[in-house]
Amino acid sequence: MHIQELKELKNREFIDQGQFDALEPIVSRKLVSVFYELRIILYLGIMLFTTGVGILIYKNIGDIGHLVVITILFLLTAACFYFAFSKAEPYSNWKIRTSLPYYDYIVLLACLLFISVLSYLQFQYELFDNGMGTLTLVTSLFFFYAAYRFDHLGVLSLAITALASFWSISVSPQKWYTGEFLDSDSLYRTAIFFGLGLCISALILDKVGIKKHFTFTYLNFGGLVYLIGCLSGLFIDYDHYGVFLVALFAGCAAAAYYAHIRKSFMFVLYAFVFGYIGLTYFLADVVLDDAGIWFFYLMGSCGGFIYMIIRFKSYFKRSA
Amino acid sequence: MIAYDKKMLQNLYLVKEVKQWMKDGYLREEQFRNIALEHPVKFYHPNLIIRILLFIATLIALGGVTGIFGLIFAGPMEESIMILAFFYGIGSCVVMEIVFIRGNHHYKSGVTEALLYHSIGWTVAGFLYMADWQIYPGLIFGFVVLAFCAIRYADLISTTGAVLVFAYLVFQAFYDMGDIMKFLVPFALIAAFTPIYFYVRGLSRKIEMQPWKNVIILVEALSLLLIYAAGNYFVVRNTTESLLDLYLEEGQDIPYAIIFYALTAIVPVVYLYFGIRKKDLVLIRVSLIVIAFSVFTFKYYFSLGHPEVSLTLAGAILITVAMGLFRYLRINRSGFTRENLIKEKWAGANPEAFVISQTLGGNKPLEGEAVEMGGGGQSGGGGSSDRW
Repeated sequence: MHIQELKELKNREFIDQGQFDALEPIVSRKLVSVFYELRIILYLGIMLFTTGVGILIYKNIGDIGHLVVITILFLLTAACFYFAFSKAEPYSNWKIRTSLPYYDYIVLLACLLFISVLSYLQFQYELFDNGMGTLTLVTSLFFFYAAYRFDHLGVLSLAITALASFWSISVSPQKWYTGEFLDSDSLYRTAIFFGLGLCISALILDKVGIKKHFTFTYLNFGGLVYLIGCLSGLFIDYDHYGVFLVALFAGCAAAAYYAHIRKSFMFVLYAFVFGYIGLTYFLADVVLDDAGIWFFYLMGSCGGFIYMIIRFKSYFKRSA
Repeated sequence: MIAYDKKMLQNLYLVKEVKQWMKDGYLREEQFRNIALEHPVKFYHPNLIIRILLFIATLIALGGVTGIFGLIFAGPMEESIMILAFFYGIGSCVVMEIVFIRGNHHYKSGVTEALLYHSIGWTVAGFLYMADWQIYPGLIFGFVVLAFCAIRYADLISTTGAVLVFAYLVFQAFYDMGDIMKFLVPFALIAAFTPIYFYVRGLSRKIEMQPWKNVIILVEALSLLLIYAAGNYFVVRNTTESLLDLYLEEGQDIPYAIIFYALTAIVPVVYLYFGIRKKDLVLIRVSLIVIAFSVFTFKYYFSLGHPEVSLTLAGAILITVAMGLFRYLRINRSGFTRENLIKEKWAGANPEAFVISQTLGGNKPLEGEAVEMGGGGQSGGGGSSDRW
């Protein structure tokens, strides 16, 4: 906004003098916030540091230098956790507001370092008998604990992805893009049940009233895994594709319904995109076999869809 | 100049900003309602998700339309089909403007963007065909079309396209002049974009330029990046080697190498210095990106061969710098504060959680993981998943 517009708002008495005084330095850029810049630097630092440490742990094991690195790592982890716990608010089922602008990133760093320590112990001393599987599960459980204790959405999403990878499902768009979403062909069944389980537990937690602001993250991951699982089943398992089609449409309907009651547009997007892919696949199998009809189908279906969204635009307006 | 009602556009931006103030607790809700009532906005301007949805749907539908036209005309008019495409492109732009912008008050609704890019694509493709794929007419025409769309529809992707095509035009012109001029390409680019930067930066102060404020910020940022890239040693060396048929032996270097080393080191510092002096967030943000790239450039040519140590050290330095500045800015100093004054729309907790889950590991399936950890040592965004 231009400073003149702010002055006009005051002159026309939309805002009072006190509010003008509070906003004026911001609008005229006399006071500039570097909150996001510093947080991005900190975030990149954490990313590089934990990646580097992760590699360092496995290199030159047995060296004196290596021992020093590991010792520093242990001390650093302890220091981060000391900081996290000493500044932590008491646990609550609701969202917790912290005043320190970097607190949540220190928690994140603490958690990531702790996992480095844990995997070092596993690597060196075989902490858990059956290897990486248990380690992944323990990692996930620890992340869940930290996410709830420190009220941290980022750590929660790490917990969910770790739990997914315990079931050999990778929750990452890059992997879907290259077709590596599911390691082996039969994993889509696991994915469907995993996604469903995640969504159901999220809805139960939401109902009980524990950390309602976590619900979106759970449903987002769970819903995507479920829908992708159904879609993979549809494409791979030709013999039972009716079952997967019904499951896909049921999932889309559920997403649309949830979007309807919560006014969450993300789920509208999922419902339509996955529903459309499923429908097109089905129609291609049954009726669409001529190029001309194809073009009419594309034009008609999407044109109708656009018309519908614009026609009911007041429904799709953001409420808050 | 702009296709939209200017007054209404100003109202839209104003109401958007006031709404954020309300969310951040500067105003009461009824104040926001009063302001919104007094600044009516008739635009159809849906939120991002609906925009994406409409964009995808429009592109698919347009694919159908193009396909039907193609089926009708491909047979009988084999020769002139690309000329038809040119007019088809212009036609779809006219349809967008009359039906959607004038008729239904769409403003960046997803439908308009899809139609616009569709139109640009066919118009430019048709022109290229008619111009026999000659490079200069094609580039100039492309630039004119993109710049026109950037100004008339305040569209950001057209803006990016226009700036990049212009840069390429300068590059191509000097490259084609041959001999010495080839080596002057970096300086030509710097000379071209420095005045553009200052001119556009001057525009951003003017109140009547408000409808284009995002376009202006984008041009500023792109100009700064191009000025930097033109002088960056890594970029210059790679383009020189691949385009000028220059093969460097061990111990050899590109001509004037010292100038480019100096530019690589100095430009980021200059950006940062003036960014802080002028309290210009565009400069500060660009300088951060550019500093990272300069570090990469020097590491690339003077590597010590221990990427994991470099990673760890770089991370430690960044964490220290960020924490130090956070502590330093506990109180406001020279007009800078660490507090979050006005929240950015894109910076919610949910998107952040998603980014964290995608960049900080935890999304690798178990099978095949075995014990070969640490061997990969991939750096960068998505590759950090083999940490454990």
